[in-house]
Amino acid sequence: MSEFQQSMEEIQKIDQYLDKGYKINDVYENLSGMFVEFAQQEEVAVLQILTADARKYFAAKLQEQTSLQ
Amino acid sequence: MADLHINLAGIKSPNPFWLASAPPTNSGYQVQRAFEAGWGGAVWKTLGEPILNVSSRFAAVSYNGQRVAGFNNIELITDRPLEVNLQEIYETKKKFPNHAIIASLMVEPKQEKWHEIVKRVEDVGVDGLELNFGCPHGMAERGMGSASGQVPELVEKQTYWVKEAARTPVIVKLTPNITDITVTAEAATRGGADAVSMINTINSLAGVDLDSWNTVPHVAGKGAHGGYCGPAVKPIALNMVAECARNPLVNVPISGIGGISNWQDAAEFILMGATGVQVCTAAMHHGFSIVEDMIDGLNNYLDDKGLASVMDLVGRSVQRYSNWGDLDLNYKIVAEINNDVCINCNKCHIACEDTSHQCIDLYTEDGRPMLKVREEDCVGCNLCSIVCPVDGAISMVERPSTIPPMTWNERQTLISSLSK
Ligand SMILES: Cc1cc2nc3c(=O)[nH]c(=O)nc-3n(C[C@H](O)[C@H](O)[C@H](O)COP(=O)(O)O)c2cc1C
Ligand code: SF4
Ligand code: SF4
Repeated sequence: MSEFQQSMEEIQKIDQYLDKGYKINDVYENLSGMFVEFAQQEEVAVLQILTADARKYFAAKLQEQTSLQ
Repeated sequence: MADLHINLAGIKSPNPFWLASAPPTNSGYQVQRAFEAGWGGAVWKTLGEPILNVSSRFAAVSYNGQRVAGFNNIELITDRPLEVNLQEIYETKKKFPNHAIIASLMVEPKQEKWHEIVKRVEDVGVDGLELNFGCPHGMAERGMGSASGQVPELVEKQTYWVKEAARTPVIVKLTPNITDITVTAEAATRGGADAVSMINTINSLAGVDLDSWNTVPHVAGKGAHGGYCGPAVKPIALNMVAECARNPLVNVPISGIGGISNWQDAAEFILMGATGVQVCTAAMHHGFSIVEDMIDGLNNYLDDKGLASVMDLVGRSVQRYSNWGDLDLNYKIVAEINNDVCINCNKCHIACEDTSHQCIDLYTEDGRPMLKVREEDCVGCNLCSIVCPVDGAISMVERPSTIPPMTWNERQTLISSLSK
């Protein structure tokens, strides 16, 4: 899979969580990439993001969420 | 015609082009001919403790037919008697009262030595002093030049001693042989420097002769490290000037030196904060007359930009020089190939395929070989446009980002605010 396709898939996954009403609850980065914790009421899901473009996209979404709060 | 006069910390000259302290300014004969040719100022070949030079002093690096891409020397400061130099400075200043003559000085790091030489050169009417804390070879072994220029405390103290005695403006010439030049620039400023100049030469060995196994140059079969200058060092010098220009603690004018060969180089240094420039290698390579094109070119450029004076150009790009962490991560450019002018050498394809992001596709259209960039995979690294031999065949074009601007620093602040 091309890096572009991989990043598009990761971006889609981020969008899916947000569309379902999940909020970005926590995030941490380590050598294996970025781990984003999405939460909706009691439900918590962790998404691993590997590609650079998706990590940039995530930051933009986090900015949106923060500015709405 | 724009006004090319500059005033660097009180030193006035008819244009921003000075000869750097080096062989071109070794004698009154040379400096007077340089002024006649059009140079606005000259920093006299460094005066100081008596020294001896070796024979076989210079070497150059040629690259793909470009002679003197870089220049290397193991020459020390002047080996002529101080009295002779002082007499010639006096005569030259009398003949050219409106040109700038700056005495470059280097003595041992002792207060009385600095006081003595400052007094003697100022008595013959120099317009300013330049302290050579940069020479990387020969003098350094004796505690002078870059040996003292690499130690911030010594830079500060010696500048202070000079300022105690000096009546004319004091420029401190810095060595690039240090990790962070702003540290010594700040030290010079604390010591009272009226200006700083940079760069002196960079430690170097020009080469090794593959037949004799001697160093290049060698002196009777032995070599020693020299100082590197010329076009190859320009980017290093330009960065050092820019770093000092944007540092609020280095709040003195800058004289830019290093690889300046034409008016465009000079204008870049001026944009990045230099009030004037100094030239050595280009004059050694092509002679004093190069200054004519420099003056004409700068004049035309200032006219084109609608600027009345070269002083209006000083520092205009400094605020555009920032930290990596303050660059927009979401800014996007991509390569675009113009197949109408492309000569199908495939250098861009090879470069991208072997060493970048594998996104230049080859295909044929009506039997004609063509190239196309897959924009979604292009990271905008510029490599293809750098290696392309045809002007205009590859353009780097902006693409609107789908997400708003964000810097690394903003991103880290955002993420850490979430984790709290
Ligand atoms: C042969 C040679 C001798 C030099 N001697 C001196 C010197 O005596 N004092 C000094 O401050 N700089 C000296 N320099 C350094 C130049 O003044 C200048 O800082 C350096 O060459 C960078 O400028 P360029 O790239 O235009 O040559 C010398 C340079 C060369 C090439
Ligand atoms: S800019 Fe870089 S990534 Fe894009 S096509 Fe050129 S070489 Fe490849
Ligand atoms: S490097 Fe330039 S000229 Fe060569 S194939 Fe690529 S676009 Fe064409």
